[in-house]
Amino acid sequence: MNNEKPSYLREILETQEIELNMGPQHPATHGVYRAILTLDGERIVGLNSVIGYLHRGIEKWAEYRTYKQATPIFDRLDYLSAVINCHGYVGAVEKLLGVEVPKKAEYIRVICDELQRIASHLIWLGTHALDIGAMSVLFYAVREREPVVDLLEAQLGQRLLYNAYPIGGVRLDFPKGWVEVCRKFLKVLKGKIDDYEELLTGNRIWRQRTIGVGYISKEDAIAWGLSGPTLRASNVYFDVRKSIPYSAYADFDFEIPLGQNGDVYDRYLCRVKEMRQSVRIIEQALDGMPEGELKAKVSPIIRPPVGEAYFTIEGSKGQLGFYIISDGKEKPYRVHIKSPSFINLQGLDVMSKHQLIADMVALIGSIDIVLGEVDR
Amino acid sequence: MITYLYDLVKTPFVLALIKIVILLAVAFTVIAYITLVERRLLGFFQSRLGPNRVGPWGLIQPIADGVKLFIKEDTVPIHSNSLLFRIAPIFTFFPSLVGFGVLTFALPWVTPSSKMHLFALADVDLGILLILSLSSLGIFGLMLGGYASGSKYPYFGGLRACSQMLSYEIPLTLSMITVVMMANSFRLSDIVTAQQKYRLYFFIPLIISFVVYLICMIAETNRTPFDLPEGESEIIGFHTEYSGMRFGFYYVGEYTNVVFLSMLAPALFLGGYDIPFVNDIALWQVHPQLISILGFCSYAIKSVLFAYFYIWVRATFPRYRYDQLLKVGWLVLLPISLVNLFIVAGIKLFLLK
Repeated sequence: MNNEKPSYLREILETQEIELNMGPQHPATHGVYRAILTLDGERIVGLNSVIGYLHRGIEKWAEYRTYKQATPIFDRLDYLSAVINCHGYVGAVEKLLGVEVPKKAEYIRVICDELQRIASHLIWLGTHALDIGAMSVLFYAVREREPVVDLLEAQLGQRLLYNAYPIGGVRLDFPKGWVEVCRKFLKVLKGKIDDYEELLTGNRIWRQRTIGVGYISKEDAIAWGLSGPTLRASNVYFDVRKSIPYSAYADFDFEIPLGQNGDVYDRYLCRVKEMRQSVRIIEQALDGMPEGELKAKVSPIIRPPVGEAYFTIEGSKGQLGFYIISDGKEKPYRVHIKSPSFINLQGLDVMSKHQLIADMVALIGSIDIVLGEVDR
Repeated sequence: MITYLYDLVKTPFVLALIKIVILLAVAFTVIAYITLVERRLLGFFQSRLGPNRVGPWGLIQPIADGVKLFIKEDTVPIHSNSLLFRIAPIFTFFPSLVGFGVLTFALPWVTPSSKMHLFALADVDLGILLILSLSSLGIFGLMLGGYASGSKYPYFGGLRACSQMLSYEIPLTLSMITVVMMANSFRLSDIVTAQQKYRLYFFIPLIISFVVYLICMIAETNRTPFDLPEGESEIIGFHTEYSGMRFGFYYVGEYTNVVFLSMLAPALFLGGYDIPFVNDIALWQVHPQLISILGFCSYAIKSVLFAYFYIWVRATFPRYRYDQLLKVGWLVLLPISLVNLFIVAGIKLFLLK
């Protein structure tokens, strides 16, 4: 597509670029993200991202709490996938302590993680579709998210911020009847995902709005350090669950959906396919649930040996890493979070070049940022 | 005294005034309740309830909305062009309201003293031309509102509104022209009579015009998937800076347009107040009042179908992008409707002499 203005127009008309402030109160920036756009007509020629409106100092905060006390705050990073965040932190502390988590606990963690991933992707699907103007999908997606949240509530006791796992395993086994309800829900969900695809995947307007929009090449995607579906849509095979298997993911048979073109449409397809894969993983985990302990023996006061640990997992937005340094006391010396939303947001600059304002909205949606995780 | 009043009422001027009052009352009620119907229907489409708290089934909701808009503070931004800012909403609202005066709602009403009263405010000779010019006037409201706000988002909204409505006005007009050619008249009641005479609704022979009209009427009223001037998730809209009843005028203006275009569509393509499968005119000579009322009902049902179509489309489709929208308008709809115009003209000239 030729985005340049015809030269004769440039000569006759004096044009001027304008600056448009998008956010932090803009409805489509998914929180308090602010983009200062330089526009030529409706075309974006420059992007200046401003973040930090939701900065809460989580990393510093954690330094003043014991390892156990610090667990709940990490739910507030990406508040749409609190279980996964908790898994990341707890996993890092376990690595620091050298604790072996029982097999059964790992399976329960995988099930909860994948349920959370489905919930997070459903919210993404709804808001992304709403940004592009298909308003009904949001309500369908939230409708299907409800049973997921119910299931997680039955297991973990909360609906949004779960404080899901204790260090060393899980708190409880699944309640009575949970597994049957979960299986039934997964069966329903498969049909519902087909419904979403029917509404969007083949829709002419949806395809026109997303195909070829916000392109990022394989090389750029790697160079900017993107991860998660945003990276895989550019045809890069990298998923922590497969590449650096953690927890019990090595036991399961699932595919990593890849995109071809690295545009908004491929990112959309990747995530939708990922939901199907999550369903597959949960079904396998439910089938192959081992017997055994729920929690490894961990001393009530956690004092890891002096040293450092980096534990990385596949969050719903991308690669989520926790880096903890211990100085041998009850409190961590330093906690650093490699948050996927923050790093993926950097790719926005490359993707938004020469796009229209309307594409910008589709783009922010397709990267799937959660500002709690960007600003920390 | 009473006889004096009776005589006064019979004068054409007062009669017209009474008609205006009735028409406005009915139109406002319909416009107010289409907002409720839309929200309830969207709720139905989206597996939720919609507003159902104010009154039984939410029936008082439109009034509550109106009251809320009236008592809100009316802000005028400092950087705005104050005069234009104040009058712009009126430009969207009133032209579309005037259009109702041209519509004919049923066959003439016959009083017991066998006097005939038109079921319309003014059945103008050049009704369709008047409607088209009024709808063009409606653009000013959006354009001026966007421009006068003195803010960037409304400015974009105004630009978009302007180019969108200009480009969709042409196919809309061309599709209406084919109807005019078939009916040999610009008068709306003549168009309905022509359909009754042919015993064929125009949407069958003029199927292409009908489809073009359906698309353009959505674009013309700036609703999904063509709601770019509003584009609530992108540029918020040309009315970003408006509040209170000035915003209410835009809001009501949009729904007035929706109601008006869905009432115009049956008259052009679905036989208006004609009752399907019945020889209306013959029956009307026997039972004039009954047929008038039934015809009015038939017209109402047909209009509701179009209004439903609006809402259905809104619940289903994503939004077009600005450049794609213009492409669809100029590269698809315009050639189609032009070719269609020539075909219909040829048929009219050589086959239907």
